[in-house]
Amino acid sequence: MTDTLSFPDPTQLAVPFFVAAILAEFIWIAVKGKGGRYETRDAVTSLIMGAGSVASGLLLGFIAYGFFMVLWTITPLDLGTSVGVFILCFVLDDLRYYWVHRFGHRIRWVWASHVNHHSSQHYNLTTALRQTWTGTFTFMMIVRAPLILLGFHPAIVLFCGGLNLIYQFWIHTEAIGKMPRWFEAIMNTPSHHRVHHGRNPRYLDCNYAGVFIIWDKMFGTFVPEQDSEKVDYGLVHNLGSFNPLRVAFHEWIGIFQDVIQPGLTLRQRLNYAFGPPGYSHDGSRDTSETIKAKHLKRKPQDRGSPGFTQ
Amino acid sequence: MPLDILLILVVVGIASIAVMLHLSGRSKRAYLTPDSVRVAWVRHFPDDQVTGVIAAKDGHAALVSTAAGMGLIWSFGADTVARHLSQVELDDTARGLCFKFHDFTAPSVRVALAPEERQLWRNTIQAT
Repeated sequence: MTDTLSFPDPTQLAVPFFVAAILAEFIWIAVKGKGGRYETRDAVTSLIMGAGSVASGLLLGFIAYGFFMVLWTITPLDLGTSVGVFILCFVLDDLRYYWVHRFGHRIRWVWASHVNHHSSQHYNLTTALRQTWTGTFTFMMIVRAPLILLGFHPAIVLFCGGLNLIYQFWIHTEAIGKMPRWFEAIMNTPSHHRVHHGRNPRYLDCNYAGVFIIWDKMFGTFVPEQDSEKVDYGLVHNLGSFNPLRVAFHEWIGIFQDVIQPGLTLRQRLNYAFGPPGYSHDGSRDTSETIKAKHLKRKPQDRGSPGFTQ
Repeated sequence: MPLDILLILVVVGIASIAVMLHLSGRSKRAYLTPDSVRVAWVRHFPDDQVTGVIAAKDGHAALVSTAAGMGLIWSFGADTVARHLSQVELDDTARGLCFKFHDFTAPSVRVALAPEERQLWRNTIQAT
């Protein structure tokens, strides 16, 4: 069994590329006068969130890695290190990413970690780096357990996960319109991912894919970008602070404040922590379902169109 | 990658991007007019009907009257953020008013107002 396998962290190695690509995108936008927007404090917040995410991985990464190594000692399977195993692992890990990402939008406990990635009202390459500091506390590493138990070495799984994140970097841009049709059909693209970052009722809770958009098409969560409706980026309730600590922890604070409210049943407290974002025991807040329903009440002509088919 | 190299790359990268953005004018705050306030407010609260707007003279904040109550919208970088004034404390500052929300995501906002504006804003908020 290959116990001592290790690979470099691809996301750390990609840092110089990230910086160069951001500079290139900014220059492109400045020269062309289109293709996106940059704002100083927004971008700096995103970059600090990215640096904090790397630091968080260095400090807390041992928890997930330790969990994976325990699984690796349990499993009798070892698929080895062939190129085919890497490719299969990359595809299956992308399926894993789809579900973790979907949970990240549908379960408030996981959303508390992921929300910061959606907290910018801008959409440019710095937004890609606005990553979580608290992913470990969601325990979503459990979703990777089947891969390890199937015989993919933890180092290969983590390496493929790093490549997955690097792929997702370039799709955080408005500088690219649409890719060739065949590419748009299979791969996640700037167009598909812009939709995912939209706060428009039409674009809520869709396009969870990391690399392959086929997962959204398979599981019924795909919404194509509409020429008739520009994506409005950010959160349903946008943050009023650029402070990275508030960006990183605000939803966790919100969960805590909601769960300890007096007079709630246990089920209501659990729903505040693990129900969908926007849940409230008295109906005073909106989930994505109620936001879509209210939109259809205002604009019934949108019923049945992309994003409003269910 | 050695940690010290990574740290240098990150610090230099963030600093250089910040300087470049600032020097190229990307630190300008959104300028609000009564018309843009109405559009921006409905963007934040699609169910609201705006019935009145008092924009600050400096163009970086506005008081908004809606059927659901009073609200504040303010420049947040190149964009805006808005909150209803259901739970807010008002403090005078040297240059205007400080709105303190009981909201971890938007703890407080300082709005620059001329003395006569400040009085109008205070009276309008207290009248609701």
